[in-house]
Amino acid sequence: MNANTGKIIRIDLSSHSIEILEFPPAYYANYIGGSGLAAKLFWETADFNAAPLSPESMLMFMNGPFAGLKLSGTSRFCAAGRSPLTNGFSDSSCGGYFAPELRYAGFDGIVIVGKSKTPVFLVIEDDNIRLMDAAAYWGKGIEDVTRALKERFDKKYRTLVIGPAGENQVRYANIMHDNHHSFGRTGFGAVMGSKNLKAVVVRASEKKMALFDPEKFEELRNDINPRIPKGMIPEVLREFGTAGSLESHVYAGNVPIKNWTSNFWEEMAEALTGTTLSETYFKGRSSCAYCSIACKKIIEIPQGPFALSKGSGPEYETIVAFGSLLGSMDLGAACKAGRVCNDLGVDTISAGATIAWAMEAYAKGDLTDTDTDNTALKWADMETVIDIVLPAIAMKKGGLGRLLGLGSAAAARKIGKRSIDYTAHSKGLEAPMHDPRGGGHGKALAYALSPRGACHLSSIMHFIESGACYYPEIGFDYDLEPMTDENKAKVAVFAVEMGNIENSACFCQFADRQITLPEWIDLFNCVAGYDWKINDLLGAGRRIFYLKRLLNYRFGFRALDDTLTPRMLEPARDGEPKGIQMNFSGMKADFYTRIGFDTTKGIPTREILEKFDMAKESAIVW
Amino acid sequence: MSEYYRDSAHLYEIYDRFLTSVLTDEKIGPKMGKAGIVIKFIYTDPDCEILIDLKNTPEKPGFYGTFYLGDSPIKEDVWSKQSADHSHRFWHGFENPIAAVAKGKVKQGGKITAMLKLLPVVRPTFRRFPEILHELGYDDLIVTKK
Repeated sequence: MNANTGKIIRIDLSSHSIEILEFPPAYYANYIGGSGLAAKLFWETADFNAAPLSPESMLMFMNGPFAGLKLSGTSRFCAAGRSPLTNGFSDSSCGGYFAPELRYAGFDGIVIVGKSKTPVFLVIEDDNIRLMDAAAYWGKGIEDVTRALKERFDKKYRTLVIGPAGENQVRYANIMHDNHHSFGRTGFGAVMGSKNLKAVVVRASEKKMALFDPEKFEELRNDINPRIPKGMIPEVLREFGTAGSLESHVYAGNVPIKNWTSNFWEEMAEALTGTTLSETYFKGRSSCAYCSIACKKIIEIPQGPFALSKGSGPEYETIVAFGSLLGSMDLGAACKAGRVCNDLGVDTISAGATIAWAMEAYAKGDLTDTDTDNTALKWADMETVIDIVLPAIAMKKGGLGRLLGLGSAAAARKIGKRSIDYTAHSKGLEAPMHDPRGGGHGKALAYALSPRGACHLSSIMHFIESGACYYPEIGFDYDLEPMTDENKAKVAVFAVEMGNIENSACFCQFADRQITLPEWIDLFNCVAGYDWKINDLLGAGRRIFYLKRLLNYRFGFRALDDTLTPRMLEPARDGEPKGIQMNFSGMKADFYTRIGFDTTKGIPTREILEKFDMAKESAIVW
Repeated sequence: MSEYYRDSAHLYEIYDRFLTSVLTDEKIGPKMGKAGIVIKFIYTDPDCEILIDLKNTPEKPGFYGTFYLGDSPIKEDVWSKQSADHSHRFWHGFENPIAAVAKGKVKQGGKITAMLKLLPVVRPTFRRFPEILHELGYDDLIVTKK
């Protein structure tokens, strides 16, 4: 097999048994890798009756076909399984250095089932795979454990570690890789914790790979790599990080403020933007393997209430989630909150969004001091957030920690009082820090249709609507007006296809903006030998999207779940988009028609599934 | 053939008034001055050049920067080339700069990121540009959103 190794490690933690699985090449050709291949393996082998945090649940880490190929942007990989936050099939993406190392070690992925009786960690050294006692690491933060593992083995060993939040099965616990990269979304840290799996480490002895046409790939690589860092977006990312455009987003009305009660806060824009981060706490850049953009920032805050040692800096999402969303324009506090989340092991987006909801609920009187263990939840009180609320969430401490550890949707359902109306989520997943009411109505459609819940990276609508990408080779040359529904459903079909290709190929969505569709085809063909044309590529993207929808149909999701909360659908209250009402239901209906969805079930019709070679899958749901 | 400008003198007349307004504005001017760069705008149809110096001490009192219409005595840090008509629509707030670069309507060179820092700063001037056109008696050149 080319591109992939064809081998996947399967661990049963209940019996501590380890085996190597090999799946048909058609799985790879039809589902690419990453989140697509994970969806296929889940469909074929998972126990659909297993609750997300039960021993029977299945957790996967899956590479894409380009992992380790020294091409900028291809060092991401995917975690997948049933999410404890949404209860549906979900995937999460992480950059860094783990994916190439796993590939060099000889594997495309890891499938984990069962539950160990005692805490363990998994060691992969080429084909020497073993479970080791993790008692010494259990209960400790991610920074300490990562450091200890690297001291015990070698700094070149790549690590995946969960923190106290994962151990305590907080529904949005993350998994950190090498202390700097994160599987942030949908709670796979809790799944690891439920299995008593504290960490995974991997090291390969040599960098061996097999490609279909290595000469052609080298030619492509030499052409693409120098181009990737030269685009307008990559240059901003390199210079100012992912928050480099925050100020522009604020003026557009794209940044949520105080739990989505406002779209405009001018003073905050300059205080929190990536240029300010670069001018204040910046100490250096870091990157994922082989990436020439290097969007990640190393920071240090030498003194003050939010002093931080030199280490990883926050991304855009973290800065907004622990900045404007909580009514704060203290950049140092956002940096500190992000670092605390990374050590405790909680997703910064869900944590910030859940706390923002709680602050509004507290201000309204829907949450009382009895609910919060007498902790006052006041806008912009970042000391309380960092010192009391985040640790309470991670440790599930008291009523406050147990409530907020559920995530905003479940917490709102628990306290009632119509507080669900002012959450910002879809399917239980808190929305990222891009407000469709100002950032573009297509984003609302993307959030609602994403199988994993509100997500701006499941499809590429976010990039298309901002004007960052065009595909003239297939006549895709729209100048979209963000604040209307015009052409949004039509574009959304292509956007979900490309989003699923990118997430299955595990290609960074910043880096691959420079890659044309013919180059995508050439990459797959010379690496994997698929002999694809454009329709084969887009067909794979569509098939993966369909399969994820079918998975969630089997978990009870229906068309009615493809929606956003009342808060997210109301017109913006201020800023440039003030008063504009999006036509969400119209866009959704149009998309359903174009993609071939049944309007009740929210999945493709039998005929459409058969057209995409999914008759076997169709027979199960129809 | 330009949709908005008869010739370079016509363009310079409008941008002279506009840039004077922006660079003396007490709210926008200081923010622009903080950029600390020299930008050259190269326009086609009509062929013109405008250089804005936000790095050196302003030549005129009350200004937060210096601009030159046509030839300029100093070297730019960053340049941006586009049609005069594209720029005309941009200053109305009707052109997406990310899309324009992605589609090749605008070409740039030099310290691009430094110029990008100015984007949010100049956004409030989008209201000012049509006001300037009105003041100069060019209401027919004011672009309205479709």
